[in-house]
Amino acid sequence: MFSTDETAVELRRVAKRYADIVAVDYIDLDVKYGEILGLLGPNGSGKSTTLKIILGLVKPDSGSVNVLGINAEDDPVAAKRQVGYIPESPRLYEFLTGLEYLDFVGDIYGVTVSEKKARIEEYLEALELEGREGDMISSYSQGMKQKTALIAAFLHKPKLLLLDEPLSGLDPRSARIVKDLLRKLTAQGVTTILSTHILEIAQAMCDRIAIMYEGRLLALGNIKELRKKARLPGSDLEDIFLKLTGTEDVREVVEALLK
Amino acid sequence: MNWKNVLRLISVDVKAGRLIRGQRLRRYRERRVFQYLLYGGACVLGIVIGLVAGIFYTGVSDQALRDLFDQGITSLFLSFPTLVLIFSLVFTMMSQIQRMGVRSSLQPPYWLPITWEEHTLASTLANLIGFPLAFLILLSSAIATVSIYLEQVPLATLTIFALLASAFIASTTTEIFRILQVRLIGAVYKSTGKAAVWVRFLGSMLFLVVFYVVWFAFTSGTGSVALIKGVAGAQQAVWFVPYVWLGMVLAAFMNGLLAQTVIFSLASFLFILVLFYVAVKLNTRFGLYEPPAITVSRGVYAPKVGFLGKLGFSSLEAAVMRKDFKAFTRRRELMYIFIMPLVFIIMPLMQYSGMFGAPVASESSRFLLAWVLLVPGAIMAAMLGLMIIGEEGGSVWLFFASPITARSLVKCKYAFVTIFSFVVMSVCGVVGILIARPSPDIATALLIESILLIFALGAVSLGAGIKGADFAEAPRPRMVRPLTAFVYMLLCLVLALAIFSPLLLHAVAMGYIPIPVLLPKIDLSVAVFISAVVALVVAFVFYRIALKNAEEFLLKAEI
Repeated sequence: MFSTDETAVELRRVAKRYADIVAVDYIDLDVKYGEILGLLGPNGSGKSTTLKIILGLVKPDSGSVNVLGINAEDDPVAAKRQVGYIPESPRLYEFLTGLEYLDFVGDIYGVTVSEKKARIEEYLEALELEGREGDMISSYSQGMKQKTALIAAFLHKPKLLLLDEPLSGLDPRSARIVKDLLRKLTAQGVTTILSTHILEIAQAMCDRIAIMYEGRLLALGNIKELRKKARLPGSDLEDIFLKLTGTEDVREVVEALLK
Repeated sequence: MNWKNVLRLISVDVKAGRLIRGQRLRRYRERRVFQYLLYGGACVLGIVIGLVAGIFYTGVSDQALRDLFDQGITSLFLSFPTLVLIFSLVFTMMSQIQRMGVRSSLQPPYWLPITWEEHTLASTLANLIGFPLAFLILLSSAIATVSIYLEQVPLATLTIFALLASAFIASTTTEIFRILQVRLIGAVYKSTGKAAVWVRFLGSMLFLVVFYVVWFAFTSGTGSVALIKGVAGAQQAVWFVPYVWLGMVLAAFMNGLLAQTVIFSLASFLFILVLFYVAVKLNTRFGLYEPPAITVSRGVYAPKVGFLGKLGFSSLEAAVMRKDFKAFTRRRELMYIFIMPLVFIIMPLMQYSGMFGAPVASESSRFLLAWVLLVPGAIMAAMLGLMIIGEEGGSVWLFFASPITARSLVKCKYAFVTIFSFVVMSVCGVVGILIARPSPDIATALLIESILLIFALGAVSLGAGIKGADFAEAPRPRMVRPLTAFVYMLLCLVLALAIFSPLLLHAVAMGYIPIPVLLPKIDLSVAVFISAVVALVVAFVFYRIALKNAEEFLLKAEI
């Protein structure tokens, strides 16, 4: 697997508040080139905000963000050119066809005509959108929209992928293709940061996992390191996650709900 | 029927208006004063109108004049139900056209334990919220107040009930139209295949033209007076049409025909029930109907180089412009923008043809007519600039995430606004010049003025459109915050007058505009030159402001 010691993404003492809510609480994070880092955490733990801060969509209240050697605050456009991003619920232009949308995104990122043509055809075939690419996106299912958004994020061969719940709504075959694709891209040096709620995805795909809770970075490392930190040798990611986030009272909650 | 469910659904519709960009949504608290300001204002205005009319009536001592007043009021009372019906139909239909694109936001009731009756009733009543309801309140309060002076309280009470019923009939008709239209669109998509996009666009345009021709024939110039006069008599002639039965109730009541009053009241009530039943049945049958996909293209992917690139636009800028063009020809709720130029073409055409009032003939009227036909481009620029950023809606995240600079954003959006407005100006201008046949120097001057106005107002409104963009899409896309739109429309008006004033001075001095003021003669070319200088300064200054606003906009990235 391709990986260097150089840092692709560097967050230092990054904090963000929305009124009285702490979204991100002074986190430090280093992601290496060619690494897949999973952001894991319950709803509202600050995963999406962290991704947005890295891309420059959200300005942090304090701290510094360095993306691929570029200070995202000083030169956001240069940083964005290198990044492929998918938000949690990507809204696409529903009045365009899938093909027109991908053509549009390709032009936005300055992909040459021949490259655009070749990549769009490849991805459409791989993700089984062939035959529907000429239909308006308004008629697509949620999974088809997600596939279109994924192709759009990959189209300009970004060096960094920021994916918020990337496999949401995908059928098993497409999910597998995306997982394999991410691994191959990683081998080529592409760095990926993805957020997910699904522990199996994080465990299967990510080189390292960052567990976030209430804006804080509770733990960071591979599964072995996380087990050690949680003092749960031999346990799976679910137990580690529940222990570290202090949400082990699941059984009591279920019993209370059934009363 | 669970009435609480109906109220809850209506309340959801009302609350959809909360999602305005820039508002503090956390721990959101409604300011009820603002919520009901429109209705309170309408009520106060209605009472004032009623008081003025009542005081005038009691002050009249001449019996002949009093009789004339009585006759006028009677005609008004008789025509009110039909007038309210037409007015409510226009507003509810327009409201439906605007909300076509946000179908998904209206769907949650489908999986909640709500019956189609409740859903249909709530949808019908919610259609009336806003201006139709305010208009109803205005009329009802005016009628109630004046009836005290006229000693016609029973008639006024019946009239108010008739108005409410008329509005409900109009709204239910719109609801039926909406459901049928969705089904019809589905059939059109299926049968027309690739051409569906253009069939839909041209179909919508045709609908708007027909709709406005009818609307202006009724309401413009002498049309409205003729309508009020005519309705009372016409109702008797078409008594078999259920839509006039409420007017017939009032006519019968005024003439003391109790049996007819009761019969037409019952018939009206039955008609409302039938209409509502049809709406419910159609909703049950087609409420969940999703039109089939529009297939725009098939086959191999063939990227286009496009001629915009040759004009000096980067691939990014050209892509945004092409996307915007598709948005305005494919999104039904954006097609609304075409109403304005249509109105500006239809009105003078109708006036010229003598559909209301005498046909236009004199030289000065031709000048005014040509002016009216050249202004649409400028108004288009002002409107388009205000909405061109907000129309991105929820998809705006792509702008924030992609490597688009403020300079590119403003350049391509400004280019789109001006090019689109030039097209409108050309179409309207050709029609205007063909009809009015102004002299070549006047035609040229007006053409230059119109181009200048487009450049200047496009820049002003684009800056405002960026600053005040509103990406909320339910219940209908708002695109720009109402206050921003209001303030900048006023500013556009003032600046347009400043730009156009040299030409106005020339027109007054030449006697084209008959104002009894002596003004120094100003040469046409000098007037145009001064206008050009003012317009270019305005365009330059506001383009800079738009750039600054775009930088802030991209930096803040409110997603």
